[in-house]
Amino acid sequence: MKNITRSTDIKMTTGWRMIMALLVLTAVSCSEDFLERKPKGQLTYDTFFETPDHAVWATNAVYQQYRSWEMCAFPWIGITDIISDDADKGSTPNDALYVLELDEFTFDGTNAAITGAWLGHYQAIFRANLAIDNIPGIEMDSTLRARLIGECRFLRAYAYFRLVQWYGDVPLITTILNDDQYYNQERTSKELVYDFIETDLLAAIEALPEKDEYASADLGRVTKGAARGILAKLYAVQHDFPKVIEQCDAIINSGEYSLLARYADNFLPVGEHGDESIFEISAVASQAAIVGPGATPFNMIQGVRGVPNLGWGFNRPSDDLVSEYEAGDPRRQATIIYVGEVLPDGSTIVEDNPEVLNERYNQKAWVPAHSGLQDNGPGNIRILRYSDILLLGAEAYNEENNPVKALEYLNMVRTRARGSNNFILPNVTTVDKSELRESIYHERRVELAMEQNRWFDLARWGRLAEVMSLVQPNFVASKHVLLPLPQSEVDLTGGTLVQNNGY
Amino acid sequence: MQMKTLRILLYSLLWLPFTSIAQTTVTGLVLDANSNEPLIGVTILEAQTDHGTLTDLDGRFTFVVSSADPTLIFRYTGYSTVEIKLDGRDQLEVKMAEEATLFDQIVVVGYGTQKKSDLTGAVSSVKGKDIARIPTANVEQALQGKVSGVYVAPSSGTPGAGAVIRIRGTGTLNNANPLYVIDGMITYDASNVNPEDVESIEVLKDASAAAIYGSRGANGVILITTKGGKTRDKASITASGYYGVQQVTKQIDLLNAAEFASAYNDLRGQQFFPNPDSLGEGTNWQDEIFRMAPISNVSLSANGGSEQYQFNFSANYFSQDGIIENSHYDRLTFRINGEYKLNSYMTIGHNLSNSSTREDVAPGVVNTAYRMPPVYAPRDSTGDFSDPTFFGLAIANPAADLYYKSDNHTTGSRLFGNLYGEIKFLKNFKFRTNFGIDKISWQSEYFEPKFEVSASQLNLNDRLSVSNGTEGKPNRNDWIWEQTLTYDHTWNEHHITALGGYTAEERNGFWLGGSRENFPGTADEILYLSAGNDTTQMNFQGANDEALTSLLFRVNYTFKNKYLLTVSMRSDKSSRFTKANRTGNFPSASVGWNMTDESFVQGLNFLDRLKLRASYGVLGNQASASGYPSTGAVSSALYGIFGPDESLNQGATLLSLSNANLQWETSRQADIGVEMGFFDGRLAMEVDWYNRETYDIIAAVPIPDYVGSQADPVVNTAQVNNQGWDISANWRQGGTVAYNFGVIVSPVTNSVEKLAEGRSEIFAAFLQGEPASHTIVGLPIGSFYGYKVGGIFQTQEEIDGSPTLGGEKPGDIRYEDTNLDGILNGDDRVYLGSPIPKITYSFTAGVEWNGFDFNADILGAGGHYVFNAKETFRFSVYNWEQHVEDRWTLENPSQTEPRITNGGHNYKVSDRFIEKGDFIRLRSLSLGYTIPTGVSSKAKIDRLRVYVTGTNIWTSQEYSGYSPEFPNAGNTYEVGFDFGGYPIAKSWQAGIEIQF
Repeated sequence: MKNITRSTDIKMTTGWRMIMALLVLTAVSCSEDFLERKPKGQLTYDTFFETPDHAVWATNAVYQQYRSWEMCAFPWIGITDIISDDADKGSTPNDALYVLELDEFTFDGTNAAITGAWLGHYQAIFRANLAIDNIPGIEMDSTLRARLIGECRFLRAYAYFRLVQWYGDVPLITTILNDDQYYNQERTSKELVYDFIETDLLAAIEALPEKDEYASADLGRVTKGAARGILAKLYAVQHDFPKVIEQCDAIINSGEYSLLARYADNFLPVGEHGDESIFEISAVASQAAIVGPGATPFNMIQGVRGVPNLGWGFNRPSDDLVSEYEAGDPRRQATIIYVGEVLPDGSTIVEDNPEVLNERYNQKAWVPAHSGLQDNGPGNIRILRYSDILLLGAEAYNEENNPVKALEYLNMVRTRARGSNNFILPNVTTVDKSELRESIYHERRVELAMEQNRWFDLARWGRLAEVMSLVQPNFVASKHVLLPLPQSEVDLTGGTLVQNNGY
Repeated sequence: MQMKTLRILLYSLLWLPFTSIAQTTVTGLVLDANSNEPLIGVTILEAQTDHGTLTDLDGRFTFVVSSADPTLIFRYTGYSTVEIKLDGRDQLEVKMAEEATLFDQIVVVGYGTQKKSDLTGAVSSVKGKDIARIPTANVEQALQGKVSGVYVAPSSGTPGAGAVIRIRGTGTLNNANPLYVIDGMITYDASNVNPEDVESIEVLKDASAAAIYGSRGANGVILITTKGGKTRDKASITASGYYGVQQVTKQIDLLNAAEFASAYNDLRGQQFFPNPDSLGEGTNWQDEIFRMAPISNVSLSANGGSEQYQFNFSANYFSQDGIIENSHYDRLTFRINGEYKLNSYMTIGHNLSNSSTREDVAPGVVNTAYRMPPVYAPRDSTGDFSDPTFFGLAIANPAADLYYKSDNHTTGSRLFGNLYGEIKFLKNFKFRTNFGIDKISWQSEYFEPKFEVSASQLNLNDRLSVSNGTEGKPNRNDWIWEQTLTYDHTWNEHHITALGGYTAEERNGFWLGGSRENFPGTADEILYLSAGNDTTQMNFQGANDEALTSLLFRVNYTFKNKYLLTVSMRSDKSSRFTKANRTGNFPSASVGWNMTDESFVQGLNFLDRLKLRASYGVLGNQASASGYPSTGAVSSALYGIFGPDESLNQGATLLSLSNANLQWETSRQADIGVEMGFFDGRLAMEVDWYNRETYDIIAAVPIPDYVGSQADPVVNTAQVNNQGWDISANWRQGGTVAYNFGVIVSPVTNSVEKLAEGRSEIFAAFLQGEPASHTIVGLPIGSFYGYKVGGIFQTQEEIDGSPTLGGEKPGDIRYEDTNLDGILNGDDRVYLGSPIPKITYSFTAGVEWNGFDFNADILGAGGHYVFNAKETFRFSVYNWEQHVEDRWTLENPSQTEPRITNGGHNYKVSDRFIEKGDFIRLRSLSLGYTIPTGVSSKAKIDRLRVYVTGTNIWTSQEYSGYSPEFPNAGNTYEVGFDFGGYPIAKSWQAGIEIQF
């Protein structure tokens, strides 16, 4: 009896000791720290916007969004070139039918290009707002800080400028929204959006250096000239021609820019950030990358489809565009790749692809062979060239009854296009205001063809209805001068956002 | 190699020495313990010898024993084995009882075991031997058709693939996979378990059973228990193996070359192929990618023990070539389970396994074989792969893909298991500490040589990619540590078992990899990253982690063995949520009433068991909130490109808005069940009705795009209901001809009750930009959606008089103007059926007679649809399915099959591509023969069985594709789409099992 009791005691003691030891060990892991876990290899919002580097990174991220699918592929090409009289859908008849809807004016607010462009530009605005809101709180060099904010304000303003030209009145989001603001934003009248864009661009002009004032490593950042150029376009949309002249002349007289001797060079690697380039979004094909982090789909979607196999073959230069060129204008050859033509680098001949009807490609989106796959596209996306500013200046001077100055700028462009061939593209000499206007409009079309300008030009000239109804029978003037808001935006706000007329 | 191992085993067995010395004669009678009827054909063995006999027609036997004081062993199918020491007697009367019925089984539950009769929750049990018949590396697949209320579909036909399992319907829009607990170690992946190591699998289906797993129990829990050691006189050694061949279950009917050429001429409206018939059959591309492929398995295990220790050791090698060329999977598994009684109050033990796997990955060629025009041969006349670029369009030659892209393999190693210790103290207490580990490491290598088949099928630079884990398949280092205290007390007619515990666990995933191009050779010994061009190198690394701590508590109380009550609670704290939202409590309660001994049941002589039970409880699902859902993460590598050399300048920012208020999904489940036994326990039935309401389902709430967030914020919002019945019945009869029949029927209805505020629908599965899946309140998750085919336009007049989409020509499909508004547009797209089966069912039958055994498993599902998505893609001129032979032409005014086109109008998302998913399949058919003991014992073999099995050998399906099962483990609203994945196989195996 006694023995049994004793042995139980020993058991008890040993057992309890072990249990206590385990419980103590367990308690160590019990603390709340054990449950605090953070994403690996990522900063989090509560540790971001603290150093000067963060300010630079947040700004660079806005540029990156300009290389996104939404801002440079189907949505961008679709509602600039393809929707206009410059281009048709291209590719095989059944590929990406929603892009065909743009060409044929059968789209509505569910079209993926129209919703995509809206989304992509507001995402750029989101990134810019985040940077503009947070960079001022970072302790850093004040010049650099001002410049970065200036870059972001330009990139935000330019996104709004596109939106307002496509959709008319749009919600004006100028900061990061709180969750109680998600669903109740209204459309801001386009005049107020213009004012906002103007304020941003004036601030950017103030803060940004000229192209040659940047360090070499910063080539490609937004410049004072770029901000002036977009501001000139904004004023043109508002038909405020004295201010257009003011901005254009500021660029022209800055000495920063000149026309390249060869028009076609603008679209080759040699023309990237050349003397004629005022603003372009840089891209690069990283070595060894299937799809590198610096690339864009811009070249692929417009690349030759078939043999050679360079891409998908969208954005076919239209018959209407082809007929716009004057006889012998070398810009036609520099803009369009035809079947049987040798590629600009002399590498190969484009063969006929029977699945693609009336094959033709946008040569301005062509890039030489590069590493990686087709979507590792290295071509910079040209946004604003000096010749655009010259023609805009010419247009404004003509509207302001100064044909001499207008002719000077216009013929600078024609002279360069002509090159050494004096049998083509004679100087325009008319001083009749409306004749000269037509000459300038014609020159803008051929000089800037397939560079995503045409739709915006037609819109600000008030000529969308007149021009588009000739080539697209479905075009309804009262409706199609503005694109529909994405239908999901109308639905999600319960109608607070009112759809555009006719959609 | 496996065959060779088997052969050696067999030879060595035959060489065992034979012995025989006769001494005493024993006579006797064997009776059924219940009915006192004599039992005929009972096997009687003398232990430690090769002697044996059988009872005669009167249940009598006469037997000459050889040893001095022998032990006799009585075996009878369906009855418990009896061992009797002779103790000098020469006459015996032996009573044998039928084996425990379903109701007396011990079943494993979370953190313990219970008698089936004491259970108040819905738990289904599957014995290891019932799943071992399916030749698969993965126990998940073997569960198909075995458990009521559990839908199992193979996730793919890839060798070694697992299955997608849905317990009691589809409970969420996100991760609806169950939790796995293997010998107490919690995991999300049971692919490492050798099916032959499995003792039993228990499926915890209702809230009462699963609530002890708290925030991870909402989609059900699958407990896998591996075989432990058994106390016995001598260790038992088992060797087994099978070898089989597999092939694709069927081929898809596609056009042959002549038919394709003619169809193409029709498409182009010109005689592009001047004489289609001359092309004949052409190439059947399916023959170019599929093959007969071997599958084999060898196992060796030793099992034994004494009062002090028990052990089970096993080794297993499984090897499967895929039915697609160049695909392969093999796995070598070792397991050591042991338990050691250190003294009268302390026990320690372990269940440890290590598995080494190798997978050879074939490129995805099912789709390209389906698409390739049959007018091409795999190779041209010069022996090069033919360039199938069809009129400048991109089509990849699948034979070339198989040739150039198959140097792709992954090896893995996984150490998995647990160590535990138990201390009994005072009279009623037991403390247990359990430490579980799961360590996985992967090594992948993929080399793609430089090649050029065509402008669209080429690789300009040879590339080697190597990784140790990837984000999708990370290396793992997971552990769990659990402390539980059990109190067990019986007094008078009361019995109480109380369990309390504390657990902590941590899960770490990590991966690292890189690649280079331009290697100086392609030999295996050259292909190491350092040999490549370092200017082409790329690399990546990442990791993730999570932690969970929990308190758990459960009380089981029974009174008079009649009235049963279980209450349980788990409180989880998860690192996935912010501090304020971290803790979740998951309670459940259930009651049971064993009515068997009640007087009104006693009076019913056909009914000998009756139990009612009911449960209600709350469960969670945190798997839907993967990663770090509450943390605003800053994305980097958003490069700006600047400078004359176009260098990448770091860019980083926040892209999306996070939700700090996020929590797990909550599911409230009610269950009412009845268990019945009839005819002396021969017929067992179990019927459960359940209602599962999942609340707070994590859904991305769409916000207007002008907010600018890349991803929609995720919030707890949606609600889904699953209601159904789990019905199972089993008839079991022991005796000379022992047989059993089983039926399982599981109807379920799934319905979305609520989506997010401001969101009335989820569109998914976009085909050519149009959604084919539409989740909407009132319908099942992921319902198919699109236009309804109304017929074929026969004339232009008909087109002019009908609502159209624009551009239709005679012979095109007339889609229905379903809302009758006279306009055909997106508003006319409607519900076209659900991918979720309304019912799943299975039948099993088994017979044993005179050493022969026969088993058949049949399973099926019905009431659902499949979307033949692979047919809708027509970027190039692909081959067509056979039905276009009936295409509309002026001469053949078909009312059902449109004119031939390549994409476009007739390929819009519509019910043209939706087919019935109903199927019934002979899952397994096996015939075995066990050599009579008298013969086998001469070779010192206790048991020797040979068998042949057919798996998936017959399927009746309406679907035109390979197989009608297309589950999705990732989400639940893109299910039932046939995108042309790796199809499942049918197979025949022959095998042998030897125990000695």
